Amino acid sequence: MLEILDSSFDPGERLNSFSKTSGNAGGIASFIGRVRGERGDVSGLYLESYPGVTEKGIQSATDAAVKRWALVDVLVIHRIGTMSPGEPIVMVITAAEHRRAAFEACDFLMDYLKTDAMFWKKQTGADGEKWIEPRTEDYKDRERWT
Amino acid sequence: MLKVLYFGRLSDLAGRREEQFNLPERITTLSQLKMWLRKNRHLGEALDERYIKTMVNQKLVHEDLTLNGDEEIGFLPPVGGG
Repeated sequence: MLEILDSSFDPGERLNSFSKTSGNAGGIASFIGRVRGERGDVSGLYLESYPGVTEKGIQSATDAAVKRWALVDVLVIHRIGTMSPGEPIVMVITAAEHRRAAFEACDFLMDYLKTDAMFWKKQTGADGEKWIEPRTEDYKDRERWT
Repeated sequence: MLKVLYFGRLSDLAGRREEQFNLPERITTLSQLKMWLRKNRHLGEALDERYIKTMVNQKLVHEDLTLNGDEEIGFLPPVGGG
């Protein structure tokens, strides 16, 4: 399942309802990415997507993860629009028969979202506005899965 | 009508996120369109930077191609969410 939302969501609530419907999975791993405060320098974050294309890309990464780790269930939620520090941007939940598969698939999907998913991020802060692009570390993280 | 989409910092340079217009006269290829946008949309050399990707009808293109004038063209700076 994939949801791209232009309004806030409650990760706790999502995890709760996911666990109720993920059947006989022995392990569930989840990750929540939030807007960093950067020592008070960041006042907001804006994210945009390429509607249709962004969804298609995430869906194929999700399909690949389901196949590679034999996932029982997976949920990716990603925000677009304007957000404040502390607000969740992304949530990935994976359910598998055993923990390792759930952890790894969650990690893999986050690496995809950080470097390959079609989103563009603009940060507003003390220095004005600037577009943020992936860091070298993000690309290195992604290489772990090839 | 041609639909042109500018993402990320390119939308700031172009002063818009998208626009629709008829293929300008004497423009028949993607590379000619880029040249035209460079002059007419204050994009300078931004579209030629090697890490800017181009999508035509939502598919990545790596080479020049002939335009009919009804395509959706997206210019994409490096992506990243999360």
